[in-house]
Amino acid sequence: MGASKNMKFTKKKKELQHPQILNLDDDFSLIKRFIEGDESTFNTLVQRHKEKVRNIIYITLNNHDLVDDIAQEVFLTVYKNLNNFRFESQFTTWLYRITVNKCKDYLRKMKIRNIFSPIKDSEEELGYTIHPENMDISEIVQKAIAKLPEKLRVPLLLKDIEGLSYQEIAESVQCEIGTVKSRIFRAREGLRELLKPYEQELRA
Amino acid sequence: MKKLYKKYEMLSAYLDNELSDAEIKKIEEELKFSKELQEKLAELKKVKQLTVSSVKSVPENPFFETRLAATMRTEKPLLAKMRKFAPVLGVVAASLVLMVVLKYNPQIVDKLVEQQKSNITAFYKENLKPLLYTANLNNDDIFNFAFYHQLPLDNQKKQVLQLGSDSKGNQFFEIKQAGLIPQQSNLKKFVESLKLNDKQKYEVDSILHSYASDLQSQVLVNRENTVAINPNIWNFNKALAADLIAFAAKVNKGQIAKVMPADFEKYYNNGAIARAVSQVKSSGNEKYIFFTPDSIFSEPFVFDKNKYKDEMKQWNEELNKNMKEMGRQLQDLNVSIHFDNDFAKLKRDSSWNKDFKVFVDSNGCRVHLSKLFIPPVQIPDIDSIISHINSASGLFKSFSFNFQKPKGKNFNYKYFYNDSTKSYNFKFRSFGFDSTYTSGNGKSDSLLISRLKNFRGSMNPDSMASMFRFFFNDTTNVHQQKQLQRQLQEFQREMEQFRKEMEQMQKQFQKKTPAPQRKSPMEI
Repeated sequence: MGASKNMKFTKKKKELQHPQILNLDDDFSLIKRFIEGDESTFNTLVQRHKEKVRNIIYITLNNHDLVDDIAQEVFLTVYKNLNNFRFESQFTTWLYRITVNKCKDYLRKMKIRNIFSPIKDSEEELGYTIHPENMDISEIVQKAIAKLPEKLRVPLLLKDIEGLSYQEIAESVQCEIGTVKSRIFRAREGLRELLKPYEQELRA
Repeated sequence: MKKLYKKYEMLSAYLDNELSDAEIKKIEEELKFSKELQEKLAELKKVKQLTVSSVKSVPENPFFETRLAATMRTEKPLLAKMRKFAPVLGVVAASLVLMVVLKYNPQIVDKLVEQQKSNITAFYKENLKPLLYTANLNNDDIFNFAFYHQLPLDNQKKQVLQLGSDSKGNQFFEIKQAGLIPQQSNLKKFVESLKLNDKQKYEVDSILHSYASDLQSQVLVNRENTVAINPNIWNFNKALAADLIAFAAKVNKGQIAKVMPADFEKYYNNGAIARAVSQVKSSGNEKYIFFTPDSIFSEPFVFDKNKYKDEMKQWNEELNKNMKEMGRQLQDLNVSIHFDNDFAKLKRDSSWNKDFKVFVDSNGCRVHLSKLFIPPVQIPDIDSIISHINSASGLFKSFSFNFQKPKGKNFNYKYFYNDSTKSYNFKFRSFGFDSTYTSGNGKSDSLLISRLKNFRGSMNPDSMASMFRFFFNDTTNVHQQKQLQRQLQEFQREMEQFRKEMEQMQKQFQKKTPAPQRKSPMEI
């Protein structure tokens, strides 16, 4: 019973997504105009996609402070390379891939930096221990999600928060759709395990 | 288990509405009959809901576009970014250009080096003037040059150009500090000892003068501390010595014969010396050896004698008129070669040069020449003449020496050879002609031994040249001394013989008298 209901719900969502496809075509025409020399269209592109990009960065890095800096880098890269855009895939796919790659670059840099400064931020360390007395449910869940490995966390959030399709996620993080499917499932299972101690709070 | 896991995965995808219609149909069928799957789906759904509800999007940043636009404006274009690589790119480009240039024009570096070299040589060649003009050489200096092979390079005569040859006969010249003992009035002594009259004196002066003007073009100096030497100066040196000896032999045969090698006479009698002299004077060598403060090199250079002829005349006249003032002006042109660390480098650098070898020490700089450098004089028996000239002029060398009053059994003996580095102070344990000796530091000195091998002599006040306090080799005095020795030895032998005879006589006498007495008891 529940399954069929759910299906209806998702079908509705699919219908809602439909106008977006037209928008994507619109992206193409904007890009064409940009290539032809009308640079003002770039602003429209930024306006349209900046929030998604910022969110993906936030999801991936789990850090407010970095979002704007990296988002700027993403759009600068887009600006520089837009002339070479080949209209083979959707603009968003390309954009998200750039975003995810920028995040990966940042994480890689941090990893190298951590090698040279082995003393970890103690506050960050403390952040992993959850004190349920002072937290509401969303906070508990957020902490749990933060505990997930990046590999699982990013596809899960891209799906559940950003509403990307498996196909889009696969292209953004550059892996197979099957892998995305598996990772999202594993992320959910992991989350469930992490939240087991807080079942009471969650029920309430 | 794996199958179940796959099913759960399918459920997760079903939840996300990511299954195909066939898959949806299949999983919905299964869900109807499996409680397990239903529970799992509920779990997953709950987790998804929790995720969706708890994770908030990052708050919007209203200034994002403004900031982006600003960054894009300040963002440097690609070329500006490359600017920080400009030095690297420049070097790369330069090396590429160089490679291409060298590939198609390999001689260019050589040409450049040649050009640079010629620039430097041109700099040092500039304003070269004859040494006599600047160092104000007089006849005395030229006379010394003949027998001591030394030419002063400056007015104060602090530095000298010394010609010489090593034990193998390789010729060298040195620029070095002058010896401690100044050579003075050697010409005067020469004139006096030969008992020359005024006319003959004038002749000597004119010989020296004629060489002076020739020597002008052999040694050149300039303000850049350059000394340019024509290797032909060796031949001039020999010619001058030969000329003077020949002249001395001509005017005072009796005196000169005492110091001359036995068969020397035949050379100046048959005109060989005169021929050699004229040969030397006519031969030219356009390659000079340049001593400069930073290099020693040989380069062709043509000295225009005529250009300086008139100037020289004028100078000499003025010099005679106003000695002091001119002296001050001449001082400006003084040459002083400093031997410092740069010269040590020079020694390293020029060691590869096949034309000459350079030796530098604190006292001076010595340049060994390959034989090719000195223009040969085309007379068949010149070598034998030169050896005679050398041995003859060797006799003209003077030592100063100093006997101290004997302290105990030892004699102190100081020996100066016109050169501080070749002066010795040594002691004889006992004084004798073939006694063993030690030098000042108690060790026997090999150089000294080799020098003293030829050293047989004593004071010779009535020798032809009174300036020679000591003689080499075969002076009459030595003969006398040897004869005396021989006579003494003979006398000793005679005395010994006499003693033996006396002894015998004594024995005979003793035999004669007590013999009968001794005989009798034996007989008894």
